[in-house]
Amino acid sequence: MRKTTAKPKHTWQILVIIITVVILGLNAIPTLYGNNNALLVSGVNSTQPLPSIQQLRDVMQQQNIQVKQIINGDADSKIVIDGDDEALVHAQQQLKSELGDDYQVRLGNQSAAPKWLQELGMSPIKLGLDLSGGVLFVLEVDTDRADQERLANAKDETLQIIHDHGLRGMSVKMAGTENNLVSKADVTTKNPVAQTETEGKLDLHFLSHQAAKVKAVVTDLQQRLPSITYSKTGERSATLAFSEQSITTFHHEIMAQALTTLRGRIEELGITEAVTQRQGQSRIRIELPGVKDPEQAKRIIGATASLDFYEMANSGTMGAKSFTDEDGRHLRVAPKPIFTGSNIENANSGRDEMGIALVNLTLDGIGGKKMSEFSRDNIGNPMVTIFSEYHKNSADEMIKNSRVISVATIQSQLGNRFSITGLDSPQAASDLALLLRAGSLDAPITIVQQRTIQASLGKENVNNGIMALAIGLGITLVFMGLWYRKLGLIANTSLVLNLVCLLGLMALLPNVVLTLPGIAGLVLTVGMAVDTNVLIFERIKEERKRGRSNFLAIETGYKEAFATILDANVTTMITALILLSIGYGPVKGFAMTLSLGILTSMFTGVFVAHVLTYIVKPQIAVKQKELKA
Amino acid sequence: MSNTSIISDKQKSTADITPLALFSKYRLAGFYLAISLIVLSIIGLGFKGLNLGLDFTGGYMTEFTTSLSIDKGQMQTQLATHLSGDFELNSGAANTQWTIRQTDGTAHVIDKDWLNNFATQSGYDITPQDSVYIGSQVGSELIDNGGLALLVAAIAMMVYLTWRFEWRLACGSLVALVHDVLVVLGLFSWLGLPFDLTVLAAVLAIIGYSLNDSIVIGDKLREVMRSKTNMNMSDIVDSAVKSTLTRSLITSGTTLATIGAIWIFGGQPLQAFAIALFAGVVFGTLSSIAVSATIPQLIGLNPEFYQHRAQELLVNDEP
Repeated sequence: MRKTTAKPKHTWQILVIIITVVILGLNAIPTLYGNNNALLVSGVNSTQPLPSIQQLRDVMQQQNIQVKQIINGDADSKIVIDGDDEALVHAQQQLKSELGDDYQVRLGNQSAAPKWLQELGMSPIKLGLDLSGGVLFVLEVDTDRADQERLANAKDETLQIIHDHGLRGMSVKMAGTENNLVSKADVTTKNPVAQTETEGKLDLHFLSHQAAKVKAVVTDLQQRLPSITYSKTGERSATLAFSEQSITTFHHEIMAQALTTLRGRIEELGITEAVTQRQGQSRIRIELPGVKDPEQAKRIIGATASLDFYEMANSGTMGAKSFTDEDGRHLRVAPKPIFTGSNIENANSGRDEMGIALVNLTLDGIGGKKMSEFSRDNIGNPMVTIFSEYHKNSADEMIKNSRVISVATIQSQLGNRFSITGLDSPQAASDLALLLRAGSLDAPITIVQQRTIQASLGKENVNNGIMALAIGLGITLVFMGLWYRKLGLIANTSLVLNLVCLLGLMALLPNVVLTLPGIAGLVLTVGMAVDTNVLIFERIKEERKRGRSNFLAIETGYKEAFATILDANVTTMITALILLSIGYGPVKGFAMTLSLGILTSMFTGVFVAHVLTYIVKPQIAVKQKELKA
Repeated sequence: MSNTSIISDKQKSTADITPLALFSKYRLAGFYLAISLIVLSIIGLGFKGLNLGLDFTGGYMTEFTTSLSIDKGQMQTQLATHLSGDFELNSGAANTQWTIRQTDGTAHVIDKDWLNNFATQSGYDITPQDSVYIGSQVGSELIDNGGLALLVAAIAMMVYLTWRFEWRLACGSLVALVHDVLVVLGLFSWLGLPFDLTVLAAVLAIIGYSLNDSIVIGDKLREVMRSKTNMNMSDIVDSAVKSTLTRSLITSGTTLATIGAIWIFGGQPLQAFAIALFAGVVFGTLSSIAVSATIPQLIGLNPEFYQHRAQELLVNDEP
């Protein structure tokens, strides 16, 4: 057995390994401690002082709830309690009733790891919905409906322009709706195929002598709506439509608006660890871990509400919208609102001096300017506030339901702060304020998927998964130890380090959540890691049988096996990355652990195990008859 | 290196001929078994189809537990009196865990209030666990999405393998991969096991596993072909497969141990996943031994290819 005299030193490799393992290992530790339940208390207004620690402690003590810790932050106080979810909800209700409406009490959790670890910024692995319990919503944003609304607005604009130009006899209609029977008949006689093509377009009809003036109308329209395209279809007709590109941008904007709005609403609900992401073309996936009452969440999230402020229409206005208020009066308002709910910056409910519920509004810069200009010119005139909401009727169709909230006379020039008065009840006022704060949604949304998992089931899933993993790992470790002896110990060390690194990496990276399929990904990772070691060790044995020295056999074994291992891991990585980009939900969770696992198993299986082998210098015994040289 | 292998060749040619021939027979038998399994699976998928889970069909699923064990027939009739419309009842954990499935658009949807009502009326101690609603349009999208993922993955891997190895070896890996996936799907269709998202994840894992196996064998095959020119192709394949056999068995064995633990201890949500993965690893091992190296042999891969290639490389290496 030739011993190497010039033993290669591996100082830097050892250093790299120690640093990596220590960093990832530290990150993995908080996961083992888990989380404690906590309550977050914050004021409705940021200027409000937080309740004193003593006060909070007293409330908790009255209810026999063990307080572990109270952390006073800048904007909120965190009460960490020692108890299960039931105790937490109980404590939340008590605090709410004690502190009154001026404070918000939200549910949260706090890492149970020692303080010094938390101060280093280390937190446990975030658990997916299936492991923590909670509610999942998948919402569909009705982009078709939004397209139609946009087209209807364009129609109103066109009508106004036609009116301004004084072109009698020119008309514009939405294509494919029942109120343009004439044009439909036209289309069917001339070109039956055109019918389907007219979806999402406006039909423009004009008298033959007006043909020259159409151009001016279109130019005017294009000034207001630059993405409108014009195409002539006949002697006295043409179509107006939005360009393909603008429709795509519009859909993109709707989705972005819906996402921001939904995030806002979830924040309003006091859920801190929600995951809100776009899924596919027109879906939004919302995971609300720890939510106990799906119905409340559903009511707020699912509502498509918008608020519009209108000027009353005078007799000359074309395309006026009419609404009926609660007293049965018909109100005709201008086709375009002065400003919409998207200009609202803040909304609070309150009461006026008569004790009637109202909502105080603060507008953003644009809204404030519009309001100030409008109110300056219209003192003494009424302004109509319309609240619109989408409802599902019995036939499962979305119906837009608009309600006149108020018809108020403008008393003076208004700025960016004013109130909507005359609401039915304080509850109605606070609901409206919440919806307005959280932003309005122009496109209706429907819930296409909903899932409620009780926290107890989540806990059971975690326990089962971890137990199964531990048993499987135990069997593997024992087998490897018995089969490969000293090499087996090296394999086992690298396997355990692999798991530690993987857990640490998952805790370290943001946006990585552990799910049930993720645990399954861990299983495959362990399998791949074992395979890496087995491939190398079998290779070493083979080299020994060919009569190589112990050292050379190990060296060649690692070198030769590496190509195979790389190929195997790269192909699996390709699969994992494709799944990661295409899949969502459970598939994503699986792909995430698998791809991270491939990285860590390459690191520990090839790099760490190699260095360990140098340090341990195991003797690989070969039976004499197996020697082939 | 070539020295030692030539010596070992001579040894093999005198001592190992009979076992190698015998092994070849086993390998071919395994190949035919794999082919018939594919045929069987296709028949199963064609005639019985997959028992698609809620994730694909859409609908409502409600899970609850009862503190006492209740007879399933009794539960069924009691539920039927309260629920209008069709539903499907399943029980687990000695009749204390219950799952009700309703189709999308059903008249009576079970919710928390309904369950509370039912609990007071029937006198059972019921704890709701999990409730799912999935719109029917989600499923088809999921199938499209999953199918697309599979297709893209297959193409990407074919390209990679053709670049790293040779197209005939890539074909072998692909057939082995298709075999593994089809057989697991076939098993699920014949046994009528529910095919849900977790099983889809398992199928994807099987793809990764199957490829891993094929690559290890392909690698070995290439190595043997380069060094042992005097053997016929069948013997080369046999010796390649044989020398990776220990590794295949150890890796499959330890992975199966972990999957087995999940099957037994993982509980209801991971059951179908574990079954799919278990079957995938078992059949994947079979295909890696009997299919992935046999296909290249059948479509005409021979040692000369790598001889030429080696020479080309040598020529290219010279400045």
